[in-house]
Amino acid sequence: MNAATGRADMRTGWSPYAFVAPFVLVFLVFTAYPTLQSIALSVQQTYGPQASRYVGLQNFVGLAHDPLFWKALTNTAVFAAGSIFIQLPCSLGLALLLNKPQVRGRAFFRLVFFSPSLVGMIFVAVIFSLIFEKRTGLLNVLLHRAFGFDPEFPWLEDYVMPALIIAALWMYVGFNMVYFLAALQNVSPDLVDASRVDGAGVWHRFRHVTIPAIRPVGTFIVLLSLVGSFQLFELPYLLLGEGGGPNNRGLTLVMYLYQTGFETGDLGYASAIGWVIAMLLGAAAIMQRAVARGGER
Amino acid sequence: MRDARGVNRPEAHSDRMGISAGVWVILGLALVSSGWILAHPRGAPSGMQLWTYARTHTLNYAPIVADWNRRQADPDRRIELSLIGPGPLRHRLMSGFMSRTPTADLIEIERSMAGEFFAGPVEAVGFLDLTDRIRAAGIDEAINAPSFSPWTSRGRIFGLPHDVHPVLLGYRADIVEDAGIDVSRIETWADFARVLGPLIRDLDGDGRPDRYLLNYWYTNKDTTEVLLLQAGGGYFDEAGHVIVDSPVNARVLATLVTWVCGPGRIALDAPEFTASGNQLRLQGNVVCSLMPDWLCGVWRNDLPGLAGKIKIMPLPAWEPGGRRVSVWGGTMLGIARDSPHIETAWEFAQELYLSADMAESLYRTAGIVSPVRRLWSLPCYDEPQPYFCRQAPGRTYLAHAPYVPRRTSSPFNEMAKEHLQEALIELRGYALDHGVNTEAELLPEAQRLLARAAQNVRRTVARNVFHREDQP
Repeated sequence: MNAATGRADMRTGWSPYAFVAPFVLVFLVFTAYPTLQSIALSVQQTYGPQASRYVGLQNFVGLAHDPLFWKALTNTAVFAAGSIFIQLPCSLGLALLLNKPQVRGRAFFRLVFFSPSLVGMIFVAVIFSLIFEKRTGLLNVLLHRAFGFDPEFPWLEDYVMPALIIAALWMYVGFNMVYFLAALQNVSPDLVDASRVDGAGVWHRFRHVTIPAIRPVGTFIVLLSLVGSFQLFELPYLLLGEGGGPNNRGLTLVMYLYQTGFETGDLGYASAIGWVIAMLLGAAAIMQRAVARGGER
Repeated sequence: MRDARGVNRPEAHSDRMGISAGVWVILGLALVSSGWILAHPRGAPSGMQLWTYARTHTLNYAPIVADWNRRQADPDRRIELSLIGPGPLRHRLMSGFMSRTPTADLIEIERSMAGEFFAGPVEAVGFLDLTDRIRAAGIDEAINAPSFSPWTSRGRIFGLPHDVHPVLLGYRADIVEDAGIDVSRIETWADFARVLGPLIRDLDGDGRPDRYLLNYWYTNKDTTEVLLLQAGGGYFDEAGHVIVDSPVNARVLATLVTWVCGPGRIALDAPEFTASGNQLRLQGNVVCSLMPDWLCGVWRNDLPGLAGKIKIMPLPAWEPGGRRVSVWGGTMLGIARDSPHIETAWEFAQELYLSADMAESLYRTAGIVSPVRRLWSLPCYDEPQPYFCRQAPGRTYLAHAPYVPRRTSSPFNEMAKEHLQEALIELRGYALDHGVNTEAELLPEAQRLLARAAQNVRRTVARNVFHREDQP
């Protein structure tokens, strides 16, 4: 090995580390350190860095007795259920429909259904606040004129979670449809034809041919929806205001974390909420993996 | 070296160096931009900074700030006025105070933000304790006493009050007088419902009433608080004890539920600052509104269609001889504890807030009456205004200013307000589910719900170690 080759090897040896170094640095400073710091904060009560007191597990005990936390958790779970059991079936249905070669203008409809996800969240919130308004809102006005529906129907008072699920459905159904459309390309046409020849009906072909083929993508979308639902913040915050709407009916876990940490300045309690969210998501991911593996077997 | 198609190509120079040309370009750009930033440091702003969150305040302060700056030879005494939205202002202040990084020298905050800044130990509050300065200058005597209460925490005053914000009742004089109703017959809320009751109408013939007497809704925490305070209720007493479950609160909640549902309904939801609410006001779907002084300015600007149709009267009392005024909102001017210009900031704060010019300009543009009692004799307050059917609203508000209820600055106010509102919402649900329509029938359930709310508030308060430590 001559000297020039040795220098080149050294450069080659160091260069991967040089390339990953910026990421590692940013990760350590902005992810690893705050994560560790949040563990320390979760056992303190703070008012900024100058005023903090060690309180042990008092923050977690407080959460267990905090009705607002339980309300936020329930709301988040309801929204997650709405995402998984309403939004995803709708996305799959649209994908199946728009995957049929005999549907004319498929590309146009795919664009139409996907386009709401291109709209900024702030505009979605403004649009739906106008739609759900009492008396003057589009939905109530139309329903009142068509069916004599109560013009004061309180969407954003008594039916906050359904209103949020509807708004999210409009926004994300097309987005998830694109994933399912991609997954449907994995369905072997030969297998479909063979099952048809064997006498399988529409349902059996869907159940035994389509579902197994799209299962990996479906599992991924369910996980993505679950994580997204547990991170729900912008839509209720913009649509209902900081408080999460009347009686906190739209308060989500992340909104509660934000309120506690950044509006009342109790970073310790907010860290405890953050860790509870992380544990819940971890548990949900493990369960979901287990269910998916069971299905594969 | 072969490319993907297996064709030989000469080895690129950058490959021989171990790093591609793109990396060198990125590295070069990074070095040049970093060098440029280092060579052009942004100097610290000279003079003092004044942050406010309200556009009307900025417009009114600008001439006074310009006049002050003209008179200052020392650039360090000059003031730069900045308008920052309430949300960003709150977050910048909170992070600045907590991390001891620079904020402004003078800062205006709104009442709903105040509690957050008083949540920690009293020595960690980011605003300068002005108590001794206020007393030494006699300002505590000069300003309407209730105006200090939202800015006082654990006996210390952290800001100069900007306003009084009395709440009276604004009513559609055209509708009321066309119906031949004499509002002087109204003394209590019960009179209000009885005397104005005939004005509740189905305007579009669909069989449902469209016009109601009062712009109030059970989901609006602010207006609920206005009515609670008027009745003598609230969340904490002056010693800081939780009074969420007081009998007054229970009675008010029971009455409010009868206002929003059942056969005795008198209220409509026409939220302020919204297009839909303004449309309902213009169409005459709502006859009366809870009207703080600042709302007079807002309506004059946003609802010119109501000019000559609105009059102001005292609020109906909760019982004969009771309080005819309440309070809604408020602003203070504080000095950052870490400001390097504390003395100059204090000098300017007094000039700004005690100025007759500013008081007059604020009244003329925003309808806000001054908390400085010696300025209550300003002639502008007696001028009749065409918008208010030639009434002089300033004088009416000032007549009630000394009687506005006192409020606390507890950091737990907003949380207690939330729990109380939950109780109200659940009480309405109870009324609808059980077909209960009278105050007397609702009272036991109101007491039960408020007891639960008070327990939740007490639990949260008890969790705060800083306040436990500050208790005598």
